[in-house]
Amino acid sequence: MADKVKLFVNGQEVEVEAGKNLIDAIGAVGIEIPHLCYHPALGADGNCRMCLVGIEDGRPPLVPACKTRAAEGMKVQLDTDKIKKIQRDIMEFELINHPIDCPICDQAGECKLQDYYMRYDGQPSRMTVKPVLKAKKMDFGCGVVHDQERCVLCARCVRFTRLITKTGELGIVNRTDYARVNIFPGRPLNNRYALNVVDLCPVGAMTSRDFRFKQRSWFLTKSPSICHGCSKGCNIYIDHNREKYKDDVIYRFRPRLNEKVNGYFMCDEGRMTYKLENENRLDTPSVEGRETDFNEGVEAIRRAVSQAKKTVILVSPSTSLEQMFALRQFANAINASVCGLSDGYIKKGDGDGYLIQDDKAANRASFALLGIDDTKAGFDAAMNGADLLVCVQNDLGKSLTDAEIDQLLATVKLVVIGNSRIPLAAKAAVTLPVASYSEDTGSVVNCDGRLQRYEVAVVKNQPQPTLIQAVHLLGGEVKNAQEARVGLQAAVPVLQDIDLAKIPAEGIALTDNEVAHVAA
Amino acid sequence: MQVQVLSARFDIPDANKIEIAKQHGAYATLDKVFAMQPEEIIEVVKASGLRGRGGAGFPTGLKWSFLPKNIDKPVYLAVNSDESEPATFKDRYILVRDPHMLIEGIIICCYAIKSHAAYIYIRGEYTTQVKVLQAAIDEAYAAGYLGDTVAGQDFKLDITVHRGAGAYVCGEETALLESIEGRKGQPRSKPPFPAVEGLYGCPTIINNVQSIASLPFILTNGADAYKAYGTEKSPGTHLFGISGLVKKPGMYELPLGLPLLEVIEKVAGGLRDGRTLKGVIPGGSSTPVLTPEEAQTVTLDYESMAAHKTMFGSGGIVVLDDTVDMVKLVENLISFYHHESCGQCTPCREGLGWMLKIVKKIIRGEGNAADIDLLTELCDNIEMKTVCVLSAACTMSTRSYLNKFRHEFEAYVNGGAPAQAAM
Repeated sequence: MADKVKLFVNGQEVEVEAGKNLIDAIGAVGIEIPHLCYHPALGADGNCRMCLVGIEDGRPPLVPACKTRAAEGMKVQLDTDKIKKIQRDIMEFELINHPIDCPICDQAGECKLQDYYMRYDGQPSRMTVKPVLKAKKMDFGCGVVHDQERCVLCARCVRFTRLITKTGELGIVNRTDYARVNIFPGRPLNNRYALNVVDLCPVGAMTSRDFRFKQRSWFLTKSPSICHGCSKGCNIYIDHNREKYKDDVIYRFRPRLNEKVNGYFMCDEGRMTYKLENENRLDTPSVEGRETDFNEGVEAIRRAVSQAKKTVILVSPSTSLEQMFALRQFANAINASVCGLSDGYIKKGDGDGYLIQDDKAANRASFALLGIDDTKAGFDAAMNGADLLVCVQNDLGKSLTDAEIDQLLATVKLVVIGNSRIPLAAKAAVTLPVASYSEDTGSVVNCDGRLQRYEVAVVKNQPQPTLIQAVHLLGGEVKNAQEARVGLQAAVPVLQDIDLAKIPAEGIALTDNEVAHVAA
Repeated sequence: MQVQVLSARFDIPDANKIEIAKQHGAYATLDKVFAMQPEEIIEVVKASGLRGRGGAGFPTGLKWSFLPKNIDKPVYLAVNSDESEPATFKDRYILVRDPHMLIEGIIICCYAIKSHAAYIYIRGEYTTQVKVLQAAIDEAYAAGYLGDTVAGQDFKLDITVHRGAGAYVCGEETALLESIEGRKGQPRSKPPFPAVEGLYGCPTIINNVQSIASLPFILTNGADAYKAYGTEKSPGTHLFGISGLVKKPGMYELPLGLPLLEVIEKVAGGLRDGRTLKGVIPGGSSTPVLTPEEAQTVTLDYESMAAHKTMFGSGGIVVLDDTVDMVKLVENLISFYHHESCGQCTPCREGLGWMLKIVKKIIRGEGNAADIDLLTELCDNIEMKTVCVLSAACTMSTRSYLNKFRHEFEAYVNGGAPAQAAM
């Protein structure tokens, strides 16, 4: 437990964490100190001056909260007329040269300038002279579009490229009100985390080319989830919306704070995997290339399984722990083998030691928990004599060449159960669509052995059954994720002491004694 | 009235050459200095009452004593030669006429603060000055006054000249450090103060050229000899730059404490014939203006200036007569500070440009009374809300014109320029 200090805010005694700056320390007990340039991941810069607070009997009596550590007995003043006037004045300065184009600004609804104007300013404009005109819609590269007029020069984006990615593409050029965030000519943003500057920007100066003008932020439902783009398992928000007469559609992923996994950030590739949830979905069952309904698809698979001499179930390393368990139980019941061949999911050397991992699968660690063999040798052995291959979410085309697959299918019947219209599906005797992870709940174990949970985010107008439901219809005993969790608890020693119904927001580390700690 | 303490060798031909300078006493005090303990030197400087000549007037010896004791990091000296404040032109004389006085002062200071590396941050526009200064430093190295054994002593000292790139704000001591370190010249938040964490994260003393150049005299002649000049709280002499509408503008060395009007009259030759005094900027463009009435009673020292609600500043006196349009003067003033704002802090970055546009609007005859009030309020809203005092330099001075010459602003908003005497 961190040390605590007692200090006074507006005369009220509060107990806060020692050693933190006033914004974080006092913010943790629910008292807001407005700020634009400070960000916990980027440290204090002190340029916006919005967080100036009074310190009674302090020397100096006026300090930037971002640069001032909480100290015992400190008397912080936030509600004096002097401080309120300073906040109003700073907002006025921020806004005099701002275009105030909120109706066409993507940031509207989640903009610090809007929020702070309503909370701390509220005055009519006194600007009677021409504002400073600056450049608009500048292409900064990596899908980042910059509007200099909206910029408040807080330098969060600049510090991000210096401190986090260490690529330094951005800088502030020129002085005074000629100061602009810019790139070096011909040297645009060129790093795999560039879109984080859009999230970091407290105003609408940094926008994502992908998201621009697609949605008003207040229409978006922000559902917490886990990115499935690689084995890091970055915590995300799935921002989605069901427009009138339309389906529930995902418009963007944004990183969600988890100090134990991804901090405040995520990579651009992971961010763009939201498209996989929307596009190219396997949405209709088919039998021998003929579109059909779900029940007939299930019947066709049941028939294939019952007629098969030997069935192999190939599961994806991105399916959830619960789904893997349900499949394993089903496989045991029908005397099938379960494989996890997915070499093609691993892009050797692609990882960067920060967030991006070589392994583009979200849950390979669970293979080990359930004893699922993901080697090529294991797959070949299992396929020996098999006449039915059930591919569950696994894009075999990533691991085997077309020729190898064709050779395999010469003697083996193929069933594809999944959510994406992968090329393999075209070769399947039967395809069966199921819900994707954004429409399902489940647990995944990331590359560091951290168990994390995601819940249902998106509910489609015509929801596909979840994979566990589909497997149950095929004859599997597990009916839903909750039953799978009960079963897992009994079957997997490392999970025995964990309450799988209640995974904390930060997840649980399976590899250290945190398990014991949480259980106790 | 004029004295020759710092300017003793200014009029000697080729005194920038080490041989000539030595013939007239340069480096003569070093034997005495190295016979003393560093702490003793700090005490002498404290006793002399020498105050920082950059403008703030902070006691130099006291500043040195803020260095942390028993530190395992190197200590640096940065000599501020970024003389850029409008109306200030004193240090350039030292740099060109007597650079060895500065180098000797640096040796004394570095020995006292136990520093082995000094940086001279010189403004980029001083092209002649930097050549003369560097030549003098090269001579001092050749003569053994710099390098591994300064003046034959077991004391190592290197001086590096760092040229600025034309930013006024780099005269702010932490922006100066940023600039030396190779970054954009922007002031740092304090604390930490440079004496604790300055150049390259090490304890650093930053002194003005004239402060350092005063050290050889003080160490040669003793604190009392220095205190014989000036007043009790403002001892010593100062290089005053007198400009504006006087008959004999120029740089004059004077003891502190002299009456301002007497100096204008007797040293600078007085106003041009037939002109009357309208105001005096006492210590560089950032210091609040004095009216003729205030000028009657003020003397050239820190305490009298403070009593008249202005500042001694850098000793750059600008004399304004009845031909001066104060509104246009303010426009000139704000446009300078606007142009020189580093753009870091919101109030300064956005506010100074706003102020400038309002003044321009008033001058165009498009202003109204509310604009004058807004200008006054903006001075309050910007001042002391920022990392450094650049914006305050603009607002404090602007406010003084708005308060003391408001009728001239009103004349503009009431249609037409105020009546000025013809040039």
